Amino acid sequence: MPKTQLQEHIVLRNREIANIADIAVYTQHGGYETARKALTTMSAQAIVDEVKKSGLRGRGGAGFPTGVKWGFVPREIFPKYLIVNADESEPGTFNNHEIIDHNPHQLIEGIIISAFAIGANTAYIYIRGEFAYGARLLEQKIAEARAKGFVGKNVFESGFDIEIYVHRGAGAYICGEETALLESLEGKIGQPRLKPPFPAVAGLYAKPTVVNNVETLTNVPRIIEKGADWYRTFGTERSPGTKAVSISGHVKNPGNYEIPLGITMREFIYDWAGGMRDPNVPLKFIIPGGASSSWLTPEHLDTPLTWDDMAAAGTMLGSGAVVVLDESVSVVKAALRVDEFFKHESCGKCAPCREGTHFLVKVWERIDEGHGRPDDIELLSDVGRQMLGKCFCPLGDSAVSAVNSAVKFFRDEIAAQIK
Amino acid sequence: MPDEVTLTIDGQSVTVPKGTVVVEAARKIENLIPVFCYHPKMAPVGMCRMCLVKVGTPKVDRGTGKVELDTDGKPVIQMMPRLQTACTTPVSEGMVVVTKDAEVEHAQKGVLEALLTSHPLDCPVCDKGGECPLQNLTMGWGPGQSRFDYSDKVHFQKPIPLGDLIYLDRERCILCARCVRFQDEIAGDPVLGFDNRGRSWMIISKSDPAFDSKFSGNTTDICPVGALTSADFRFKARVWELQPVPTVCNHCPVGCNMTFDMRANEIMRVMPRENDAVNEIWICDRGRFAHHFVASPERLTTPLVRKNGKLQEASWEEALDLVARQLDGIRESAGGKAVGGLAGPSLANEDLFAFQRFFRETLGSPNIDCRPGTALDLPLDDFGAEYGLTSGTDLMQLGKGTVVLVFGADPEEEAPVHLLRIRNIAKRGGTLITINGRATKLDRFAEHTLHYRYGAETEVLAAMLKPLYDAVPPEGKRAALRGFGDLRGVLANASAERAVANAGVDGPTLEKINQALASATNLVIFYGQEALRAGTSVTAGLANILTLARKAGAPNSGLVALVPGANARGALDMGVRPDRGPGYSALKQPGMAAHEMFDAARQGRMKALYIAGLDPVQADPTLAEALKKVDLVVVQELFLTATAQLADVVFPVLSVAEREGTFTNAERRVQRFRQARRPVAPQRPDWQILQSLARQLSAEAVIAASANVSDKSRRQARRAEEQARKRTDWSYASPAEILMDIAASVPLYKHISYASLESALGVWGRKPNEAYYFDGTSYENTGGLGKQVPAGAENGGTLSLQPFNVRTFSQPAERPWKLIATPFLYDDSTLLNGSALLNNRKARPVAALNPADADSLGLKDGDVISIASGRGELRLSVQRTRLAPQGVVLVPLHVQGVPLVTVVEAGVTAVAIRRAEG
Ligand SMILES: Cc1cc2nc3c(=O)[nH]c(=O)nc-3n(C[C@H](O)[C@H](O)[C@H](O)COP(=O)(O)O)c2cc1C
Ligand code: SF4
Ligand code: SF4
Ligand code: FES
Repeated sequence: MPKTQLQEHIVLRNREIANIADIAVYTQHGGYETARKALTTMSAQAIVDEVKKSGLRGRGGAGFPTGVKWGFVPREIFPKYLIVNADESEPGTFNNHEIIDHNPHQLIEGIIISAFAIGANTAYIYIRGEFAYGARLLEQKIAEARAKGFVGKNVFESGFDIEIYVHRGAGAYICGEETALLESLEGKIGQPRLKPPFPAVAGLYAKPTVVNNVETLTNVPRIIEKGADWYRTFGTERSPGTKAVSISGHVKNPGNYEIPLGITMREFIYDWAGGMRDPNVPLKFIIPGGASSSWLTPEHLDTPLTWDDMAAAGTMLGSGAVVVLDESVSVVKAALRVDEFFKHESCGKCAPCREGTHFLVKVWERIDEGHGRPDDIELLSDVGRQMLGKCFCPLGDSAVSAVNSAVKFFRDEIAAQIK
Repeated sequence: MPDEVTLTIDGQSVTVPKGTVVVEAARKIENLIPVFCYHPKMAPVGMCRMCLVKVGTPKVDRGTGKVELDTDGKPVIQMMPRLQTACTTPVSEGMVVVTKDAEVEHAQKGVLEALLTSHPLDCPVCDKGGECPLQNLTMGWGPGQSRFDYSDKVHFQKPIPLGDLIYLDRERCILCARCVRFQDEIAGDPVLGFDNRGRSWMIISKSDPAFDSKFSGNTTDICPVGALTSADFRFKARVWELQPVPTVCNHCPVGCNMTFDMRANEIMRVMPRENDAVNEIWICDRGRFAHHFVASPERLTTPLVRKNGKLQEASWEEALDLVARQLDGIRESAGGKAVGGLAGPSLANEDLFAFQRFFRETLGSPNIDCRPGTALDLPLDDFGAEYGLTSGTDLMQLGKGTVVLVFGADPEEEAPVHLLRIRNIAKRGGTLITINGRATKLDRFAEHTLHYRYGAETEVLAAMLKPLYDAVPPEGKRAALRGFGDLRGVLANASAERAVANAGVDGPTLEKINQALASATNLVIFYGQEALRAGTSVTAGLANILTLARKAGAPNSGLVALVPGANARGALDMGVRPDRGPGYSALKQPGMAAHEMFDAARQGRMKALYIAGLDPVQADPTLAEALKKVDLVVVQELFLTATAQLADVVFPVLSVAEREGTFTNAERRVQRFRQARRPVAPQRPDWQILQSLARQLSAEAVIAASANVSDKSRRQARRAEEQARKRTDWSYASPAEILMDIAASVPLYKHISYASLESALGVWGRKPNEAYYFDGTSYENTGGLGKQVPAGAENGGTLSLQPFNVRTFSQPAERPWKLIATPFLYDDSTLLNGSALLNNRKARPVAALNPADADSLGLKDGDVISIASGRGELRLSVQRTRLAPQGVVLVPLHVQGVPLVTVVEAGVTAVAIRRAEG
């Protein structure tokens, strides 16, 4: 077994088991047995405790401990909802996509167990609108599970009811943010809500709601099946488990990899993804955790891929999307591209983001077109400072990552382009 | 104190109630944190980011749970890593807030710079210029210069009509959502929303017709920029040219405080004036946009006297002399009783008091009424005064523990701002109960709603009274209630089951309502025109509920009668009615009610009719015949109404904008309006005309009284002379003096004077300037808050239960439908003359039928039907709507082309409906 491959996948089990999306294949490999065990032999609290013990952290970006989040849900208020965040819109991210298309039953089983754990009888999968195939497939897979009595009323004869609905988004990145997602799900314009209250207390229709990422929930059946201790044999103490990471850009073998958390960026790029696409053109910088994340340069290659180590390096693990860019790339163009995305996706609710993203794009554009002005670097930094931490939701901050990274690491290059 | 929190803002310590947000805490110490989206009347949303401040809290040691102290023994303050929005951050003990430092200023400048990027900066042509929060905040906190390119501004088509009344300029909009939130949270008409995203994010109207709300004008006040402007005021004036004059709305019984904003003797716009006890800072669109009657070219300008069968202009001397001589002659020949007087519920207290004096004292006639004398006249309401909301009650302060029962009323149409205030009580935790014959908007906010069958109101009331009645403990308590025994028989058979069977109401809901009534801390009961029309047993039933719930005369409790007219309560208080004198005093001899006067006129027994501020002929054209049989018809009016056209003498009067006076609202608050406008023609105030006549008529009376000594003792003679002198003393120099006279002769008004109505300013602690930051405009109240007169039941005497009977309406088989006259805010009242903007909103002359009923009759929208009662028939086209209950046809009141008077009968009118031929 090469060291660049897991002995046992946790979420991308489709890499080991052909046709696992087929319910017959999935059940042959023990599929839905964990859900049966959980619902018929375990208490909700025991599941929450096991997940807590596993140290599973949310895969949607912030890495919040999942068991702890579940623990915030008030037990005595009904109904409760479980929302599966399948909006996956962060540029460079396509790991949820693979799970949905190729390992859907494990996700559904995860939903059943997690809904039981928090006491929700209804789960909504909020799926990115563009994933039309995935949405149809999930509906079909839910129907298959329902036919077997795994979804619906009194599943596994446990007395527990669970309905799972698939809801397609309408093309707004912000609807991946959990409260904007809830607004959208309620039929309103997709914009983030004021927090507190947090969804765990007052979420969908003001009822207790847990929002979890697809990958987060896909981990759950294996954790319950094999136990927290087994799970902790992967990854590090504070970042246990594996992570499906999407890598793209100037690497030899782009795609999804399920890696044990804790390997270094260098190992990941050079050993797992085959290194730079053109070995003669060196690495220039890395956007390591989705477009929102701050950039890394070759000097950071030994940073381990864990939440804490990435934070210490000034960036984040984020959505698990590594974009590798070589020396052929113009920093200004890259930053412009990233900020254009955020401008396009700014919901408009708050002034600093609505106007700030627009302004950043304007300045990047003029630099790129050769009309940069002498003060433009300072201007970019200052507008960034006016936005960072001052917007209503983190989207505005995200637009500043590219600015600050570009100015920090490539000031001379930008300055040269302004002259 | 556990409910208070002390924090430090810019080094200054302040103590505020728990739950206060930082903006409000700072405001308390006059530290104005700039805001755009925050509004004190709405839930904070934190979206504009203008109010960012630095916030720190005492550091707590995780192990011990104790606050960590530094070497000086002061708590260690842990600053939050990011700036926080002061409008959404609740205070906490020991919190430290910094509102002024380099970092905060940088953020504020940044937000303003961002907002101004997309702003067109067309202040020179913007109506908000001069009272614009964006202008003010930019001056105070903004960057001197923008680094954005001017050419980068967003552009929208501008301005676009957002409905008939409001225009939207999307370029000016800073997207604070105040307008959207107002419509959702306050007005309860969620008709505005957002579309698109990013810089294309914009306000839209979601309703058809667009911006369909009776409160839309308020959004132009709270909009912090000139994005929302009213069709009425757009481009009319610069705000700094305006002189606001305090006034009181004369359109409905709420009595909203407003200002007429004047320029060069013209009303340029109407603005709300803050009075938390009446209208907070809101007014409805009728109050705001229906002021054009004042400057209407149709206004009467000089007295008119009928000569050769035609009304012709005359001098005041000629007209007054003529009326005085003729009245004197009639008094001599036929006696005062041959004269009748009608004075409307929109006249001021001063006019009404003078009116009844003129009749009772000068003419010696008991025949006066405040109703027009048509089949639509409502019974006179006394319960609203006897059991009225106790003085000192402020609906704004009520919430948890308060039960509000709305019975037979549609506040949205009858008293719009009450809808907002009732809804707010419910929002603050009060229990709202609506009981009506049909669905009304208020149902949406109610915890319990019953819809009764029209005609079975008393069945529902009996079922509500029964448990309260049975719960009165026997010993002592029952004796303390006059009329207790009389109700026993009436309620003997009452039960929820019976109400369910006979009134068609939901049993379980009725039970819940009864529980709520029994456990209410405060009980406020609103009733409106449908309850009044249903007969006095209905209103008596409501009064009895209050009494049996032991809330009669109790604080924060009482009845609110929505009698139509801005001063309907004042008219009743002043004794403009045949059966009672001022202050509901008993009369030796009651006079004729309005309809009796017309009956007498038809029979030739009425020699003179004097009509002020009422238009009976418009309401019922058949009354013209009666008027023709009267020797002298005198009318005091603003316009040449249908009645005025038939008069012998017409006196032109001053409008509410051109004179002073007081109105008493439904909550019995006496409020003062001021003169805003110089009269442009020689019209006079109503009271002055009456005084002139009275003086001419009574010159001889004192002499007559004193001359007649022979058959009396000297003392008797002196008393007679004194009385005569008092009766004939008409020396009012101003309405203020009439009010002094009212205070002296009407006990309820003992403490009312112009001075008392002006007191208690600024109880909300606003500084003139700060309103611009927090509210979008200034609602400064310089005109006083008015004063509530006590309810009869507050005197503490023995409480009476009112005669109450259960009456079930039996429907004649040949007339299987019920006709219900429904009030509309926008009807064809004289006061809407000249306000063309509101025309599209006016009630249409249609008969509303439930679609199921229409189907059973084979009727489509627009089909013409004949509606026939025992009295007559009327024809209308059909409007199919689910708002009409089955078995009922709803016909609008006071709408031209709807001769309701020809068909209505007392109580419920049974009608036959058939498709009209041709
Ligand atoms: C602008 C923005 C976009 C986001 N998009 C996604 C997304 O596409 N998918 C996702 O799972 N979480 C997304 N998140 C994070 C969610 O708000 C939320 O934290 C997450 O769904 C929680 O799930 P987890 O605890 O399982 O990670 C986004 C957050 C922000 C601020
Ligand atoms: S930062 Fe503001 S404008 Fe941007 S997406 Fe979040 S709420 Fe919307
Ligand atoms: S129109 Fe005015 S109130 Fe409405 S969002 Fe725009 S600025 Fe705010
Ligand atoms: S965010 Fe506080 S006033 Fe707008």
